[in-house]
Amino acid sequence: MDFPGSLRPTVFMTGPLGLSDVPDMSFMCSWRDALTLPESLPQNSENGVPHVAKGLLWEPETPGPLPLLPPGPDPWHPGLTAQDLLFRGGHPFQKQPRVVLDVTEQLSRFLWDHGDIAFAPLGKLMLENFKLEGARSRSKKKTVVSVKRLLQDLDGHQPWGCPWAYLSYRQRRFSILGGPILGKSVANLLGDLLHEELVTRWEQLLLDDAFTGGALAWVPGKTPRVGQLVYPAGSTLDKLYFQEVSLTPGGNPQVLRDPGHIQLRGPVRQVVTRTVQGESLLAVRSDYHCALWKISRQGRPAPLQVLQVEKGATGISLSPHLPGELAVCSRSGAICLWTPQDGLRRVYKDPDTLVFRDPSPWRWADFTAHPRVLTVGDRTGVKIVDTQVRGGDCHRQSSRTEQRHGVGWGRDLPEGMKSSRSVSPAGGDGAPDLGLGGLTRFLSQGPPGCGLLLFRGGAEASCQKGERVLLTQYLGEGSPESLHSTLHLICTQFSLYLVDERLPLVPMLKWNHGLPSAPLLARLLPPPGPGCPRPLLLGGQDGQLQLLHITGEEASTPRLAGPPQSLPSRNDSLSAFPVLEPKSQWRLQERLKAPTIGLAAAIPPSASTPILSLFQLSAAGDVFHQCLRLQADPGPDSCAPTVSWSPQATACCSQWLKALLEVPPAPPVWAAPTFSHRRLLGCVEQREVEGKVPEGLRAAMAEGRLLQQRDLGSLPTAEPPPAPEPGPDDELSKRLEAAWEGRAAAWWERRQGWSSGPRQQPKRHKRRTQLSSTFSSLSGRLELSDATSPPPSPDPEARPRPPGTPPSQELAQEHWARGVPSERQQTLRDYMAKLPLREDPLEDASAPPSQTSSIRATRSRQRTLQDNTAKPPLQMDTPEGVSVPPSQTSSIWATRSRQRTLQDNTAKPPLQRDTPEGAFVPSSQTSSIQATPSRQQTPVLSGSQRIRKKPRMGF
Amino acid sequence: MTLSRFLSRRQFCLLPPPPHRPQALFILGMSDFSEELIKSTTEDDQGERCELSGTGMHFPWLQKHIETVATGGKKEKDFAQTTSACLSFIQEALLKHQWQQAAEYMHSYLQVLEDSDSCKRQAAPEIIWKLGSEILYYHPKSNVEAFNTFADRMKNIGVMNYLKISLQHALYLLHHGMLEDANRNLSQAETWRYGEKSSSQEVLINLIQAYKGLLQYYAWSKKKMELSQLDKDDYAYNTASQNMLDHSWKTSVNLGALIQIPGVWDPFVKGYVEMLEFYGDQDGAREVLTNYAYDEKFPSNPNAHIYLYNFLKREKAPREKLISVLKILYQIVPSHKLMLEFHRLLRKSEKEEHHKLGLEVLFGVLDFAGCTKNITAWKYLAKYLRQTLMGSHLAWVQEEWSSRKNWWPGFHFSYFWAKSDWKEDKALACEKALVAGVLSGKGCRYFRYISKQDHQVFRKKIKRMKKLVKKYSIVNPGL
Repeated sequence: MDFPGSLRPTVFMTGPLGLSDVPDMSFMCSWRDALTLPESLPQNSENGVPHVAKGLLWEPETPGPLPLLPPGPDPWHPGLTAQDLLFRGGHPFQKQPRVVLDVTEQLSRFLWDHGDIAFAPLGKLMLENFKLEGARSRSKKKTVVSVKRLLQDLDGHQPWGCPWAYLSYRQRRFSILGGPILGKSVANLLGDLLHEELVTRWEQLLLDDAFTGGALAWVPGKTPRVGQLVYPAGSTLDKLYFQEVSLTPGGNPQVLRDPGHIQLRGPVRQVVTRTVQGESLLAVRSDYHCALWKISRQGRPAPLQVLQVEKGATGISLSPHLPGELAVCSRSGAICLWTPQDGLRRVYKDPDTLVFRDPSPWRWADFTAHPRVLTVGDRTGVKIVDTQVRGGDCHRQSSRTEQRHGVGWGRDLPEGMKSSRSVSPAGGDGAPDLGLGGLTRFLSQGPPGCGLLLFRGGAEASCQKGERVLLTQYLGEGSPESLHSTLHLICTQFSLYLVDERLPLVPMLKWNHGLPSAPLLARLLPPPGPGCPRPLLLGGQDGQLQLLHITGEEASTPRLAGPPQSLPSRNDSLSAFPVLEPKSQWRLQERLKAPTIGLAAAIPPSASTPILSLFQLSAAGDVFHQCLRLQADPGPDSCAPTVSWSPQATACCSQWLKALLEVPPAPPVWAAPTFSHRRLLGCVEQREVEGKVPEGLRAAMAEGRLLQQRDLGSLPTAEPPPAPEPGPDDELSKRLEAAWEGRAAAWWERRQGWSSGPRQQPKRHKRRTQLSSTFSSLSGRLELSDATSPPPSPDPEARPRPPGTPPSQELAQEHWARGVPSERQQTLRDYMAKLPLREDPLEDASAPPSQTSSIRATRSRQRTLQDNTAKPPLQMDTPEGVSVPPSQTSSIWATRSRQRTLQDNTAKPPLQRDTPEGAFVPSSQTSSIQATPSRQQTPVLSGSQRIRKKPRMGF
Repeated sequence: MTLSRFLSRRQFCLLPPPPHRPQALFILGMSDFSEELIKSTTEDDQGERCELSGTGMHFPWLQKHIETVATGGKKEKDFAQTTSACLSFIQEALLKHQWQQAAEYMHSYLQVLEDSDSCKRQAAPEIIWKLGSEILYYHPKSNVEAFNTFADRMKNIGVMNYLKISLQHALYLLHHGMLEDANRNLSQAETWRYGEKSSSQEVLINLIQAYKGLLQYYAWSKKKMELSQLDKDDYAYNTASQNMLDHSWKTSVNLGALIQIPGVWDPFVKGYVEMLEFYGDQDGAREVLTNYAYDEKFPSNPNAHIYLYNFLKREKAPREKLISVLKILYQIVPSHKLMLEFHRLLRKSEKEEHHKLGLEVLFGVLDFAGCTKNITAWKYLAKYLRQTLMGSHLAWVQEEWSSRKNWWPGFHFSYFWAKSDWKEDKALACEKALVAGVLSGKGCRYFRYISKQDHQVFRKKIKRMKKLVKKYSIVNPGL
């Protein structure tokens, strides 16, 4: 191989990042790279200055990429945003807004939503300070609080700063009594953990490196025009799809058949493909597994190997030199090389980062021009590591790997041939782990530092302060024809570097890409024509795409040919879709904005102008396609002609959109009710609201659709203004009248009866019914008056009752629920379950389905939490016999149970739903049904809203 | 048209000092130090803001996230908002190759020079130069004059960028073949001084001087060409050679300083050495090259060793010396094409260890993906293997082979390569088949495939190959 005879002059400085004293040569612009020195001018002035095409431009055929495949049937949710994590309060005195994680809000939300978990143990300790309902007040001590009243008061407590909120004396007393204990202990225990979790989430939001390298691959087929797109889809990205695509000479791809798919046990994070010596191989990285397939000539994948990575895999790469070889990196800092001959061999292990200390466990490995030399990268630098086993001490490991029958990820063939081979995975004792244990004794790797640094995050490459490596990639293809067989691409959040492995530390090319998101995807494509520079695609996580033209023959340094170019992102396609109502529009926008997790491109052979077919995969599982045409020297006046949408394109978009809108929206992540209601307004008022209009409103809200005229029906009759009360003079005149007649005393008595009667009657009635129903199980402790009182008379406002339901039972349930805010029913029930006084399990037995489901939901949520906090077991087997890494399992469980709850709620018979109290449905869950999909922090309606006349908080 | 407006606007806005702040330019010029301080503190502030989780990583997209959350704090002024929006428009237009549009935006962006925020004002010239020069470089209606005007104006806004812009301007002129102008430019920059000489300034001045030296070298080189065409007895010859002597002296001053600073200085070193050699200063040239190749502060540049080797070869240095230079190159770049030359040197050497190294070098070259079809290397290996085995050094071959036997068969001797090599280059296939047969025996798929081929031209060769494999194969020694 020839080395460039003369390299570009560069200052070489050693030192840390952001060394300010270095004259940063990258300050120079992209055109600087096009400059050439008239090197040894007289000798070869004719061919000395290579022709640099000034206006090299790939012109998009449409203003944005178009959907290639219909949207998947699973709903998709964009996940957390900065709004969910950051403190939204103002810092009026700071010049720059600061990032503050909102631990307080999250913590108070947790306490509010999961008070049973947070306070149950303390509650037990403080049992003697509570007077449970039905218990005789044994003392008049100030340290005993009545539970029922407290809960009633708390129900009306407005947590998020409602101006109408007030503290009752009971609350104040409770707060003084319990504050020091309740506040501190929970906050102390949870605060740190929560903060840690929020920091992780926030970091993940800033940089999600799981999809580094991209999860979309183009596997070339038998002819150059046909190939397969391999990508994950489904709501959890655990189905690996194989879609055959044919590229027409016009550039538009045609989907050939229904895609085949393989169901995997974890989300697919990275898909790599290589064609080595005519053999197409496909490697897939999941969080804790890696797998390798061989693609036959017919395009069918045959499983070769599954590896389990205990600590979590961060990167996988296939050898461009030897068929079937792959390198896997784990979070523990180990790099393993898997070869068909030797099996798995750990070639490098260093838990520390290369150049300076960085906490990220991200590691990356790739191949080099030498088949037995790897690059090992982390956030701080990239090293070259020789993996060759010297001196014939090759330790064979193949006995430990199960070849060719380890793939238990059953394949679903499109023809319906289901060969779901549930062979026990290569995990367990089958495959060697890449964790700490295991292979240490086989290691022949010298001490860390024996390798050679290829790239150092420091002054050598004039890196900025805070600059970190996000992606490294070997650009050679293994075939000796490729000109860049020694080049490596290194991307940081600011710049792109091309480094030649023969001249380490000094980048051959540096370009400040200025992408507004993390560049985690890169593809170097073959030259579109003889003598053309090679297109290098760079993709940001948020969908931005840049295309660079890399030129440079073997004997000259790589250079940028012409200025880099930005390509349209999926966001630019919005204009191709028809205008929608705001909610659907928002959904569409969100979908188009989904992070890009895969990038693939193909240059089909074409007679005239070269065409670039670009495919992108979004986190929602959508594959978009764009066609670009090379415009090699456009004239001087060529301002890129503005392309517009063709009718076919818009038709394609509207078709896709139609399918998208048919997909049910993602069930929102469970949202806490942001306020609940004071129970001061009695049932009397609630009755009056019932009617067609609020029903329509409610239905519209529940379905989340726009409010239409028919929902409103006739406009609600405005409530008549309160009739003027009889003025005091009126009363006075009556009284005077009576006095004149000598019946003043009778008048007074009559008056007394009027004013007190209607007010006190319902209260007493209410209290009585509640007590009798709720605490009837606490037999013997009931007040005598209540026990002997006649059964509650039917409500004066007779309401429709579900036929077939015994009135007594229904009433009991209702009243049980009425006294206590619905969110706290579970708490109370749990308490009562623990109480020694309890005698018969009435509640659980008679709990209506909705309540049962709420119990289930809460329990499973609890379990989820425990699962998350507890140390995960090595491997969990879900009932399906599928082993999923624990963290995923728990999240799946959580979603499932949540979904189930929702289904239970929605599937409830409508009659029950019409019950006036509506307290059956735990308000929290109902609110989650009704919560606006945008999940903004606007107050959401709680379940009891439907029976309310006027909401307390402003809408 | 837009372009000329863009430039005229520049004149308009830069020549008279801004009326509302008459001292603005003066302050900009003089209070450089304090502004630098301001800049550094704000950068620290920013850093602190980004280092939320203690990872120290800087996220350019952090601001975007923060902005989605309606935090309080001081709102950006309208002016700052418009300028930053304008900047993003320019960048977008550049990435879409809409040069006209970019120029129009640039025209509006120049107002940032009057920003009341001092650190923004400080950073502005650099951004303007970066974007403006890019527009002017690629703009279809741009020309060298327009670029010159722009560069000359930008140099004098603030003091921090004078040297950098001068250097880039000169490179631009150099690229366009205007050596005279470039030289004048560099000479001007060379004498420029501002305040205390900081180390980055020093490096830049050295660079400028070196480029000046390079220009002089070009001139010298041209004269040398002319001289070689002249008759030695001619009168003109003497004046010309006198001229060259002058140049040489100046150039050595200019180039010598930079070459001492660690870096990659290939064109400078090449020129400098050529001149030194021409004037018979062999020791000086050797010193420069040795320093360039062996100074530990320099990056391990393969070219440094190649230059030294070529110099020694020209000097007809002893073989030992050449071998020692190439040995180091072999350690850095075992795939270099000089390695075949290295092998020849080693083969000719009398030392046995060199013979062993010769085998190692050949194996090393063929390890690399870029060299798999190098027929010379295969030929050498086939020949040398036979020679080594005849010399009963089976252990050497086995030592080399043991680390490769588990991957060379798949890498070189696969059925796929046998087929494609035979199709593309039959001579190469024969050489490879011989090596394959010797190293992995007659059962090797590559050897089997090639030996089964029937071809008129190669029939004899294949027959010989089979015989050799039978004789020398290391798999079954003794048979």
